[in-house]
Amino acid sequence: MLRGEGLVKIYRGPSAPVPVLSGVDLRVEAGALAVVAGTSGSGKSTLLNVLGLLEDADGGAVWYGDVCVSALSRSEKSRYRGRSVGFVFQSFLLLPSLTALDNVLLAGKYVGAAKAESRRRAQALLEQFGVLARRAHYPRELSGGEQQRVAFCRAILNDPPLLLADEPTGNLDDDNAALILRALRDRAEAGGAVVVVTHRPDAVPGAHAVYALENGRLTAMNPRERKVR
Amino acid sequence: MVGALASLRGYLFTIVGIGVGVAGLIALGAMSERIVRFIEGGDRFVLGQISVAGKGMGMGAGFTAGGLLPSATLRAVAAVPGVDGVQAQVMLPLNPSTSQFMTLTQELVLGMDLSVPSPNRAFRTLPVQRGRFLREGDRRVAVVGASFAASHGLEVGGALELEGQRYEIVGVLERMLTAPDRFVIVSIADAREQWVAKDAMLRTLLASGAAALTAADLNTGAAVGWREGEDPDVVARRIRDRVAAVNVQLPSELSALLKSSTAFFATLTVAIGTLGLVIGGLSLANTVAAAVFERIRDFGVKRALGATDVQLGREVLGEALGVTLSGGLGGIALAMALGLGIDAWAARTGQQLFFFSPRLLGGGLVFSVLLGTASAAYATFRVVRLSPAEAIRRGA
Repeated sequence: MLRGEGLVKIYRGPSAPVPVLSGVDLRVEAGALAVVAGTSGSGKSTLLNVLGLLEDADGGAVWYGDVCVSALSRSEKSRYRGRSVGFVFQSFLLLPSLTALDNVLLAGKYVGAAKAESRRRAQALLEQFGVLARRAHYPRELSGGEQQRVAFCRAILNDPPLLLADEPTGNLDDDNAALILRALRDRAEAGGAVVVVTHRPDAVPGAHAVYALENGRLTAMNPRERKVR
Repeated sequence: MVGALASLRGYLFTIVGIGVGVAGLIALGAMSERIVRFIEGGDRFVLGQISVAGKGMGMGAGFTAGGLLPSATLRAVAAVPGVDGVQAQVMLPLNPSTSQFMTLTQELVLGMDLSVPSPNRAFRTLPVQRGRFLREGDRRVAVVGASFAASHGLEVGGALELEGQRYEIVGVLERMLTAPDRFVIVSIADAREQWVAKDAMLRTLLASGAAALTAADLNTGAAVGWREGEDPDVVARRIRDRVAAVNVQLPSELSALLKSSTAFFATLTVAIGTLGLVIGGLSLANTVAAAVFERIRDFGVKRALGATDVQLGREVLGEALGVTLSGGLGGIALAMALGLGIDAWAARTGQQLFFFSPRLLGGGLVFSVLLGTASAAYATFRVVRLSPAEAIRRGA
């Protein structure tokens, strides 16, 4: 379903270019939960951004099915993101000026979803994740766990086949982390492709594949390695 | 509507910032308009009539300053082809010892021959706000300009003492923002008496009998009209050529003279207006652009959620329109509240510093909205060029 081929990303440093991705290949099928682990600064967030077309790679290509999505125009990329990709960020990235419900509805706004249907689905998701009672609250009035649950509802409002999560449990307590991880697994079991990047390889139990990103290269990790790191 | 208001709530500080910028722009513009109105009013007046005065120096003030203009000379002027109406006038400084200092704002007594309709095409009548204008045969009554009334605390039914005589106030003119605001208008007979009372030399001359003068000869000038279809400058030249011992001001010359004598104020007007545009404009543009850049992370998130450049641009421009319109209206209200408050205080001395003309308010609002929208468009263009990830990073 999702393929990254030979992905290269180089940032301009103050004195010299900093290579972050040096030819990364990754393939995630529908129904799979893949984890990319790496230390801070290893480039795992960059990889997720490139896979989600949040930034362009300097080399290589991203394929979604038979379509080379990295070659799409800016507006086509936007439409692709809106329809096919859901993002979950470590810092939630809820819009502070919108209520919880409006933050979730924002995902439907740009893809032309019917308002009434979006609202019905948003409320159902908020209820499923236990934050319906907080729908009229602004992000500053929500706990970190509640914000991440709202952000998760936003990510899956359009039922995207691909879900990309960047340290989704990094700012959460154990209960909320477990809730989000279960939801990620549920997405994969429902047929979606899920990619999670994290600095802890054992943070996502039940992952179908775990990769390590080191020195700009991606390698598959065996189960023993996952626990050692 | 409720949704729009709710979305604007998040921009309260931006709206306040824009409001302050627009208030500065409008307040400075209103001061500029006040000066423009003063100069334009004078220009309209001098272009509406041919002003004639006697040759030489005299007691007269304002545009009729010059020597005596006897009744025989007035008759000669009236006989010039093309002339249509000659109104004798006496124009005197209210206080000869001080009021010459600032000729543009001096208080004047204007005596008008009310048996002749006003020949001035721009001011057939002077607009009366309260009471009535003078009538033929009126004596010891006066109509005062709005500033004069305010600074002297005069109202219709009140009284004013001029050269030891009591004058009842029968009318107060509308505020015209030009010279008549500081006029005391009386019948020409009363003005002649005041002239004699003010001028010791004239009294001596009349008492000596050395000059064959009657009351009708005591005129400091005359307003002269022209027949329909005549060129006023041509008629003025004709008077100059055919009537001896007169100073004839060509309307176009007087207009040019007025403009050159008010060049300082005209320049000041341009400077104040430019300053207003620059200060208010920069403040507004900066506030709007900063508001967009402040939300760079939000734009990154929205693009991550699928917003295209066009959708985002439309959204930002729509918001910018609402924000600048709200800020602009708020700024206008603020400027008017400040200006009218200051004017209320200044009215005690007969001054008005601000004039909030419709063209200023409309122009200020349009300028604010256009500049705000352009600033928002520029900022949005800069923001959408970033990748969503970069926008999120920079806004973090």
